[in-house]
Amino acid sequence: MVQLLTGLRHNRKALIGLTIVLIIVLIAIFAPLLTEYNPAARTGRPHQPPSADHILGTTRLGQDVWARLIYGARTSLAVGFAAGLLITVVGTALGIIAGYRGGKTDEVISFFTNMVLVVPNLPLLLVIAAFVGQAGPMVIAFILGITSWAWGARVTRAETLSVKQRDFVKAAEMMGEPQWRIMAFEIFPNVLSIVGINFIGSVIFAVITEATLEFLGLGDPNVISWGTMLYNAQKASALSVGAWWDILAPCIALALLGIGLSLLNFAVDEIANPRLRTGSNLGRWASLVKAGEGRL
Amino acid sequence: MPFLLRRTLFYLAAFIAAATINFFLPRMMPGDPVALMFSSAASELPPESLAALKLTFGFVDGPIWKQYLTYLASIFTGDLGMSVKYFPLPVTELLGRALVWTVGLVGTATIISFFLGSFLGMLAAWRRGTRLDVIISVCSIFATSIPAVVTSLVALYFFGFTFGWFPTGYAHDPALDPAFSLQFVGSVLHHALLPMITLCFVLTGGFTVTMRNNMINLLGQDYVVMARAKGLSDRRVMVLYAARNALLPAVSSLAIALGTVLGGSLVTEVVFNYPGLGNTLYQAILARDYPVIQGQLLVMTAAMLVANFIVDVTYVLLDPRLKGSG
Amino acid sequence: MSDSLLSVKDLTIDYIGAEKNFRAVDQVSFDVAPGEVFGLAGESGCGKSTVAFAVSRLHIPPALIRKGSEIRLAGRDVLALDNKALRDFRWREVAMVFQSAMNSLNPVLRIEDQFHDVLATHNRCSRKEARERTAEMLKLVDIKPERMRDYPHQFSGGMRQRIVIAICMALNPKLVIMDEPTTALDVVVQREILQRIDELRRQMGFSVLFITHDLGLMVQFCDRIGVMLSGKLVEQGRSDEIFRRPQHDYTRKLWASFPSLKGGLLG
Repeated sequence: MVQLLTGLRHNRKALIGLTIVLIIVLIAIFAPLLTEYNPAARTGRPHQPPSADHILGTTRLGQDVWARLIYGARTSLAVGFAAGLLITVVGTALGIIAGYRGGKTDEVISFFTNMVLVVPNLPLLLVIAAFVGQAGPMVIAFILGITSWAWGARVTRAETLSVKQRDFVKAAEMMGEPQWRIMAFEIFPNVLSIVGINFIGSVIFAVITEATLEFLGLGDPNVISWGTMLYNAQKASALSVGAWWDILAPCIALALLGIGLSLLNFAVDEIANPRLRTGSNLGRWASLVKAGEGRL
Repeated sequence: MPFLLRRTLFYLAAFIAAATINFFLPRMMPGDPVALMFSSAASELPPESLAALKLTFGFVDGPIWKQYLTYLASIFTGDLGMSVKYFPLPVTELLGRALVWTVGLVGTATIISFFLGSFLGMLAAWRRGTRLDVIISVCSIFATSIPAVVTSLVALYFFGFTFGWFPTGYAHDPALDPAFSLQFVGSVLHHALLPMITLCFVLTGGFTVTMRNNMINLLGQDYVVMARAKGLSDRRVMVLYAARNALLPAVSSLAIALGTVLGGSLVTEVVFNYPGLGNTLYQAILARDYPVIQGQLLVMTAAMLVANFIVDVTYVLLDPRLKGSG
Repeated sequence: MSDSLLSVKDLTIDYIGAEKNFRAVDQVSFDVAPGEVFGLAGESGCGKSTVAFAVSRLHIPPALIRKGSEIRLAGRDVLALDNKALRDFRWREVAMVFQSAMNSLNPVLRIEDQFHDVLATHNRCSRKEARERTAEMLKLVDIKPERMRDYPHQFSGGMRQRIVIAICMALNPKLVIMDEPTTALDVVVQREILQRIDELRRQMGFSVLFITHDLGLMVQFCDRIGVMLSGKLVEQGRSDEIFRRPQHDYTRKLWASFPSLKGGLLG
């Protein structure tokens, strides 16, 4: 854990990623201080380009795009983190149980995991969301949580299988520790980097998928989020009438959040698996070769 | 071949699972499932069609298992009911037409991006730590982390509307009748190009990262070192020894990636107003055309399973350890 | 020493870190005469494999062979070879057997292909000539030539290592480096493989640079031995001398950890 944190501090990808995510989080928290407009209210004429009054222009209904964007960040982040957490908890629990218990338990869990992996995720979500009706953000987060844990379960299981062979687990077994204690206190801390990767990956997935479902018209159109912004802009034919700000604003926001989270994710992956690193030592190596200090 | 037989049985189970979800979902919702599914149909369809539709979805008198078996029976006889919006068009026909466009678009984009991504990943891993590696890695991180909906909208805005290089919708010029003429095929390609490039952009990064990671983990293997010690050319070692083996896990991760591929293509089709499954589905969602929405899950699942099976066969062909011995 | 085949002088190798370097090999010098078996002993991590890799110039970044190091093989300056000359040099002059018997053959290529790419690269052999040569080499290590169409996973660990040795012989190299060639194998197979190498060596006259942490094995098999400790070559000499009159403390400790060997094996 400590190793993970110090590793993150020295990793450039992690720093850039964390900065991006933190800025978005701060903007979302302090949204009321950053705009005078009510994001739901008509505050100007329809489809006005960016100006001093409306720095990102207005929607077709005359709402302020910047206000909607920063209030919408709250929804996207909340759904992302809630769903990400749910996905990770379910995936980690199933993965550790399957990997550690083995035998019949493993067979059953693995069978379901593989099944969920081959049923295409977005079409499944679409069917569920369509029956739920106009799903609010937290309903979407819940649906994501129960349908998207399979990848995490699979990688956690694989990691558990190797941790299980280690001496401290064997020792704990010898001392007669109950299984749940071994799973919670011996296995779990040692698969933490996988859990971290799973969590960040799930948050990315949840943010993207929530926006996609809303864009496809399966969300509650009265909620203010990046997905409904895209949906409303698309319905208002924003691109063909040339109101690019209406659509590009949420696009750029989604891309930035995605990039920030991915950078963090790759950084954790590199720290857990040092071989993947592009490392500064190779730069030093190259300069030494150039200086004639040695060769291969 | 036992490996493939095992996989086939598993796929059958997965398909039944998807059908089961379809069956139980409306029955789990609060309220009357018949009213929920066919509220719009009741006002528009003649009564005997409505009765047929109910039968297809297992709404018959009797215990739940009888209803379930009725539903499974209609699915396995290829009856997915009728579209409410486009009544009396059967769902299979509606989705079948759309599937052709989707398979063309998604299949081509997947193959292109798999090979392109694996190639870039191979180069990056082989030249690890060089500027080439850094450029490839950073670009693929960016490309994978941008949602498909964003990429599609931005591509449509710039290349469709602003620069006007590509058409902004449909699969071919609506003035042309489908025919094997140069003009028609050209029009189809021209319309498919921008969605295709967009999809490739969305997909390639993921394949690049997978291949790079697999390959880096393989570079320390004794057989790769021995290949270098044998005095083989760098290219031969890289391709035939390192990449050829790194491709095996990449192919099996392709099977998992296919879900993402399908999801991405749905969105891209909607944005580009491309008449594939995604767009058909979008129209169905807007009209709450439940038979179509349910049908697409089965069609998508079937497509996914067929694609998975192709991946399995490829894997067996690529890995001699799986041949014969099973 | 003009009559030596391999001459390593002041070899120093660093692994470059982000801030500090790790010196894996420090000022190591030794010679191997034609037809001689020279052993490098030491515990894992002492740098003996790093030396072996350097002789074929197999290192990848961040390993760095420091200037001032010298490796000569049959009079040629190995460290000065350019890429093309290096490719030509590898395997024709120095062949190599690796530690993991299960893992040194490419799992997706047939055995004949793994012979063929050596023969085609170095001798521009045709398929047919390569097959004949492959059959000949496989016979040397008692593997039926018709099995050349098989894949590596169809052979046992000992057989795979024999195949690797056969590939080593394909170009009649002057030196064969063996980096812990038998660690992954059981004792009976180990003995069989070493005997085979010894016969081949007498027959074909190559030298062997043998690397292992197993001193017992080394004393039986090698003419001379060098002992390495954290990157330095602390002692070298004839096997029986190193065995009977070890000079360095570390060598004595190494022997002490093999009590059953004293007097028994060399006899």
